[in-house]
Amino acid sequence: MAVKLATAGLSKTFGKGGIEIEALRDVSLSIEEGEFVSIVGASGCGKTTLLRILDGLIKASSGSVRVNGKEVVGPGPDRAFVFQQDGLMPWRTVYGNASFGMEIQGASGAAIRKRASDFLRLVGLSGFEKLFPHEISGGMRQRVNIARALAVDPDILLMDEPFAALDAQTREIMQAEMTRIWQETKKTVVLITHQIDEAVFLSDRVFVFTARPGRLKEEILVDLPRPRNLSIKRTVEFVTITDRIWRLIEEEVREGIQREQVSAAAGAA
Amino acid sequence: MTDKVEGVGRAAPSRMWRMRGFPGPAFLRGALSIAAAGVLWELAGRYLIKNRLFFTPLSAVFSRMAEMWSEGTLQTDILASLQTFVVGFLLGAGAAILIGVLMALSTWARDFLDPWISALYATPFIALAPLFVLWLGIGLAAHAAVVFISVFFPVLINTYSGLATTDRVLLEVAHSFNAGKRQVFLKVRFPSALPFIITGLRLGVARGLVGVVVAEIFGAKAGLGYRIVISGNSFDTAGLFVGIVLFAIAGVISVELLKLIERWLAPWRLQSAEE
Repeated sequence: MAVKLATAGLSKTFGKGGIEIEALRDVSLSIEEGEFVSIVGASGCGKTTLLRILDGLIKASSGSVRVNGKEVVGPGPDRAFVFQQDGLMPWRTVYGNASFGMEIQGASGAAIRKRASDFLRLVGLSGFEKLFPHEISGGMRQRVNIARALAVDPDILLMDEPFAALDAQTREIMQAEMTRIWQETKKTVVLITHQIDEAVFLSDRVFVFTARPGRLKEEILVDLPRPRNLSIKRTVEFVTITDRIWRLIEEEVREGIQREQVSAAAGAA
Repeated sequence: MTDKVEGVGRAAPSRMWRMRGFPGPAFLRGALSIAAAGVLWELAGRYLIKNRLFFTPLSAVFSRMAEMWSEGTLQTDILASLQTFVVGFLLGAGAAILIGVLMALSTWARDFLDPWISALYATPFIALAPLFVLWLGIGLAAHAAVVFISVFFPVLINTYSGLATTDRVLLEVAHSFNAGKRQVFLKVRFPSALPFIITGLRLGVARGLVGVVVAEIFGAKAGLGYRIVISGNSFDTAGLFVGIVLFAIAGVISVELLKLIERWLAPWRLQSAEE
């Protein structure tokens, strides 16, 4: 299969008032067309920074991002971003929000009407078109968020902890919905998440990142059969993979705490 | 998919309720309060303060109002004040919104105008009223200018801060779809600033009505403010109250009109505030 998205030697350092924070160091990833990958890691490992660089919302300090072999210089119609806070316009209805991206990208009125209702149906929101965001639940808002991103027909969907703010049950349902949507649309997806089981359940591969600065620690292949349903989470194979990722992250968190203690002790001395 | 239903049933009916302007319990209690105050006024005027020079019962105010109406002076006064208010308010609010937008779009304009706004915001421009009358003569131009300057600042400040405080996430959403500056303004910043602008207009209405009275006090040939001064000078206390009551009514009508406009332009804000 063809490589859809590739990064080479990606690094990012934030400078704020003389204090420099290194968020990412030398990240090289290669993601194939139609692949679902997740990035997991301890808090503050630069996961979201990486995703924003992939979208072109911020620029890397060094290294490059290529989509279909072309260098990324800013946001483009080949990628769509699903935000953690749903980012719905409160003055637009469900339908209006689903159309937002298409409107911005200058789609024709007929195309907007067709695609908005198609994708609202795909995410299970037919019949809710006229409601405003404050009238629907958090799970429904995230569905609109996903429909808005899919409606512009991107090659790659970049998802930044899209289900983090949802309650446990709704999150499980959204995970099941997401595999279905992915199977139907065949998009390439990069998902950032804190939930290891979510990453394993949805992905073909999981990238485990180190604590700050974020580097690729290990790449885990998830060779579970597809299509998957939620019951797979109780199989031995699933638990084995989840466990392995847990241990990798635990290592990082422990080392992080030790480093902090050492530097605190050094500061005290 | 159980998450579908809960959000819907809660908000939708209350919204329909409000859209129709149905007289709910809040409206009835408000009306009761006004009626009680009217009764108290009447009783105070009849039995408490008997000197008609200091106070008059509400019924006397109404009969004076009817008298002024049949003389034809009331219509002339209302028309003159209304004209002053409408011209001054529309021009003042329009100019303020335009300049607020300009300041939000251009850093150059913002940096250039910002010190003036900080310096002049708290200045009581109403004090300029006699100067305007001196410059522009007694008439609509001078009066509308006082209203203009009273309305201008609250609307400008609210427009500008509404446009300057757009939710960062929403801006990023637009950016991720590669929106241009124009699109960001028209599709994100301006609509999200609308509730602020409406708040500014509401403040502007209150200041503008004060502007009408003050402008007419400093020299006029007709108008409700002018009527208040004339009645006061000729010890016609009932006539004075006619002016005050009509200004109060004008305030209520304008604020209610703005609420209607808000419900139409920015329904999301009103509901989230009430929920």
